[in-house]
Amino acid sequence: MNGDYAGYALRRAGQAVVVVLLAYVFTFVVISVLPGDPVTATLRNPENGFSEEEIARIVAYYGLDQPVYVQLWEALSRFLVGDLGLSLRSDRPVADMLTEVLGSTLALAGTALVVAVLLAFGIAFGAQYLPRPFGPALRAFPSLFLSVPNFLIGLLLIQLLSFQLGLFRAIDADSPTATFVAALTLGIPVSAQIAEVLIANLDHEARQEYATVARSRGLGRWALLLRHLLKPSSLPVVTVLALTVGELLGGAVITEAVFGRTGIGSLVERSVAMQDLPVLQAVVALAAVVFVVVNLVADLVYPLLDPRVSLQAGPERGAAAR
Amino acid sequence: MSTSHTARRAFRIVIGLLAATVLATACSPGAAQTGGSGEPRAGGDLTFLIDSLGDTWIPNNSAISSFQGHVWGHVTDKLVHVDEAGAVSPWVAQSWERNDDATEFTLRLRPGVTFSDGTPLDAAAVVANLDLWAEGRPDEGIRPIGLFPKTYDRAEAVDPATVRVAFSSPTLGFIPTLGYHGSILISPATLARPATEQADLSNAVGSGPYVVESWRDDDSVVLRKRDDYDWAPEVSEHQGAARIDTITYKVVSEQPVRASSVRSGQADVAYNPSPKELESFKAQGFSTATPRYLGFVNGFAVNTAAAPFDDVRVRQALQHGLDRDEILSTVYTPDWLPAESFLQSNVPGATDHSASFAFDRARAEQLLDEAGWVRGADGTRAKDGTPLSVTLHPNPYLATSTAVDELIAQQLRAIGFAVDIRSFDVVTYTQRVDFGSVGLYEVTRSIIDAGTVSGILTDANNGEDWFGVGRSDPKLVELAAGIAGASDPAARDAQLDELQAHVLDQAYFVPITQIVQRIYLQSPRVHDVTYNGVAYANYYTAWIED
Repeated sequence: MNGDYAGYALRRAGQAVVVVLLAYVFTFVVISVLPGDPVTATLRNPENGFSEEEIARIVAYYGLDQPVYVQLWEALSRFLVGDLGLSLRSDRPVADMLTEVLGSTLALAGTALVVAVLLAFGIAFGAQYLPRPFGPALRAFPSLFLSVPNFLIGLLLIQLLSFQLGLFRAIDADSPTATFVAALTLGIPVSAQIAEVLIANLDHEARQEYATVARSRGLGRWALLLRHLLKPSSLPVVTVLALTVGELLGGAVITEAVFGRTGIGSLVERSVAMQDLPVLQAVVALAAVVFVVVNLVADLVYPLLDPRVSLQAGPERGAAAR
Repeated sequence: MSTSHTARRAFRIVIGLLAATVLATACSPGAAQTGGSGEPRAGGDLTFLIDSLGDTWIPNNSAISSFQGHVWGHVTDKLVHVDEAGAVSPWVAQSWERNDDATEFTLRLRPGVTFSDGTPLDAAAVVANLDLWAEGRPDEGIRPIGLFPKTYDRAEAVDPATVRVAFSSPTLGFIPTLGYHGSILISPATLARPATEQADLSNAVGSGPYVVESWRDDDSVVLRKRDDYDWAPEVSEHQGAARIDTITYKVVSEQPVRASSVRSGQADVAYNPSPKELESFKAQGFSTATPRYLGFVNGFAVNTAAAPFDDVRVRQALQHGLDRDEILSTVYTPDWLPAESFLQSNVPGATDHSASFAFDRARAEQLLDEAGWVRGADGTRAKDGTPLSVTLHPNPYLATSTAVDELIAQQLRAIGFAVDIRSFDVVTYTQRVDFGSVGLYEVTRSIIDAGTVSGILTDANNGEDWFGVGRSDPKLVELAAGIAGASDPAARDAQLDELQAHVLDQAYFVPITQIVQRIYLQSPRVHDVTYNGVAYANYYTAWIED
C-alpha cells in the first residue's frame, strides 16, 4: 500500500505543478486582453495632468510597453525561481503583500470551516432525531442558508452583535470575537452544503437493512447513529469539505469587505479592480496550490476511511458521494 | 461588465435599505447634546474610518490621492499654508519675494525645523523636494507631481535658510502651488531611496506633527504625535505639539458599517458617508463637514468639435436645460452649493456668472427649435434624419455621478435629447473616455491656482484643450494667454472674470453643482478640526472631550 501511495502522491504532485503553471499563464492571458492597466489608469487621472511623454517613460519602467509575450516570459521566468515580482499598484514586493494577509485569511477560513462542520452536524443530527416539528423544520435550514446572501448575514450580525449589543467593536477586525462572527458569516452558507449531504446520507443509511436489524434488536436511536450510521454517512463529507475550500476563498472576498478585514479576499478585490497582474497571478497560483493539495489530502484520506475504495483505479470520491 | 455593475448596484441598494432600517430603529446613546464645552485638553486617541488607503505610498505618487492625503497631511508640512478660502500664509517658508515678471522667487525658511529623523529642514532639503516634485524619477517609476508648474527651471540653496527658484516664464501660481496636494516636504534621505522602499510607509520621514507608528497595507495606519513639534502654520490658533496622542486610519470599505461605527461610538470619524444620511446624523447631534476644495465645479466640458455641440445654440440649450436646483435637492443636501461659474466659488478670482446658465426650459427649447432640431412623435428631436443624441459617462471619481446623470438624462430628454448613460470602472474609464472622445466630459478637477486654467482650457503650451476649440476662438486664446503670462494679480483677476463670462456664454463648460468630494461624519466629542484648501481634515489643533 505504501508503494501505491508514493507513486500516487508523485503523480498528483506532478499534476499539481502543471495546474499551477497553467493557471498562472491563463490569468496572464485573460488580464492582458482587457483594456488598460493600473499604472496608465492612475497616470491618466485628470488630477495629474501628465504629458504623454512622461506617461510613456513611467509605463516603460514597469515594462508595460513590451509585447505581451515578452511580459509573460519575464513573469514566468521570475515565477519559476520563486520571485513573485512587484505589485503594479503599490510598488511593493508581491510576496510581502501575500504573507501580510495570509494569516488573517487562514484564521478566518479555518474558524469558518470548524463553524461550518459543527453547524452541519448539528443540523443533520437534529433533523434526524429531534421531535416534530423541530426536526423537519431543520431540514429547511440548508436551503435557507444558501439563499440568504453572505453579506446580508454579515451586516445583520454586525448590526445586532456589535452596534446594538456591543459585544465587540466592528472595526477591531482581528479581535477573537470579531473573527468568530466573521467566521460564522462565512461558515453559514458553507455549512448548508455539508448538512445537505449529511442529511441525505443519514436518511439513506437509516433505511439500510443493518440499521433495521439493529433497531429491531432494541438499539437506541442515538446509539445507532453514533455506532453505525455516522461513519458511512460522514465519508462523503470529506469530498464536500475539499470542494468547500473554494467556497471559503470566494466567500472571504465579501466577508472580509463587510468586516473590514485585510486578507486574501480584500487583496483580490483591490487587485482585480486595478488589474494588478503580478498580485493576481500570485494569488491564482496560491489558490491552485491550495486546491490541489486539499484534493490530494482528501484522496489520500479516503481509502483509509473506506477500505472498499480501490487505490489502483484511483479513489472515486465523486461516485461515493452520490 | 454590465452584469457586475447591476450586481454591485443591487448590493448597494440592499445595504442602503438595511442602513436606513437600522437608522430608523437606532437609538443614539450619548449623542443627544451638541457642541460640548470646556477647554481643549491634551490626550486621547482618534479613530478615522476611511473607504480605502489607496495604492502606493511613494510620496510623489500618492499625496494627491483622496485617501493617502489624510495621512500625509499629519506626517508632513508644507512650505506655505492655503486655507479653505484659498488664502496663502507662511508655514515652513516664513516669507517670500518675487521679481516683477514672476519668473524668480526667493523663499526664506523658518529656522529650527527638523524632520523626525533629526535632520534639519533646510534650503538643501527644500531644493531636493522641489527638484523631485518638478521632475520625478520616471525611469524608476517615481512621477512628477501633477500640476506642478511645467515652467520650473531650477532651484538653488543660497544659504541654509534661503532658496531661490527660477522659472522659464511668469508663474504667478507658484506660491499657492506650495500649499496644495503633493507639495509635501519629505526628508532627503527618504527621497534618495528607491521606489520600492519609498512605497513602504514606515520609511516615510516628514517634519509634521505626527509620525508613522505602524501600518498595514490596505488595513490601517497608526500615527503618533511628535512631542517636539513647534512649527505649525503661522495662522494656526494652536502651536506646539498636537493635542491628540494617536490617530488611527482604519479601512472599512462598506459605507453603512463606517457610519454605524461612529453612531455607536466605536469610532470618531467616518469618511464619505452617504450624502443623504447627513441630515439624520445632524439631527442626532453628530457633526458633519462638507468642505469644498479649490478647483473646477462638477460640470461638463463640451466638445465643440463633435456634432451636435459644434452649434453654439445646442450648447446653450444644454446650459439652460439643466435644472440644477432639482439636482441639489434630489441627490444632495443643503450642504452642497449651486455653481456660480465653472470655478468653485472659493477659488480666488472666481466670480458669479450664474445668470448666464440659469435654468429656463422654454429658452432651451427655443434654442433647439432655432437650430433646426424638430421634435418627432416620441418627443426626441431630429435634424435631417439624425436624432439629437448624447451619451453621458458618469465620472467614476465622483460617487454621486451616476445618480446625478440619471436626473440629467431626464431633464435633457424633456427638451428633446435622446440620452444614453454608459458607466465604466476607473481603469476602463481612463482608457475609453477622454476630452476628445466624448461629447460631454464630466469634470472633477482641483486646481493649484486659477492661473493654470489657461493651460487646461486651450491648447496653448501643449494644453489640454478641453473644448476642442484649439485656436479657432481668438477671444478665448487671447484671454487664456493673458492669464498665463500675467505677473500682476489684479490685472489677472479682471481677465479671469472675462474668461469665465466668455466660456459660460459660449457654453463651452456647462456647470452642474459645486463639488464636495470629501464628506466627514464626526462624533460630537471631537472639537476644533480644521480643513485646508483641498478639503482634508486636519487634527493637529483638534481635541477629544473626556
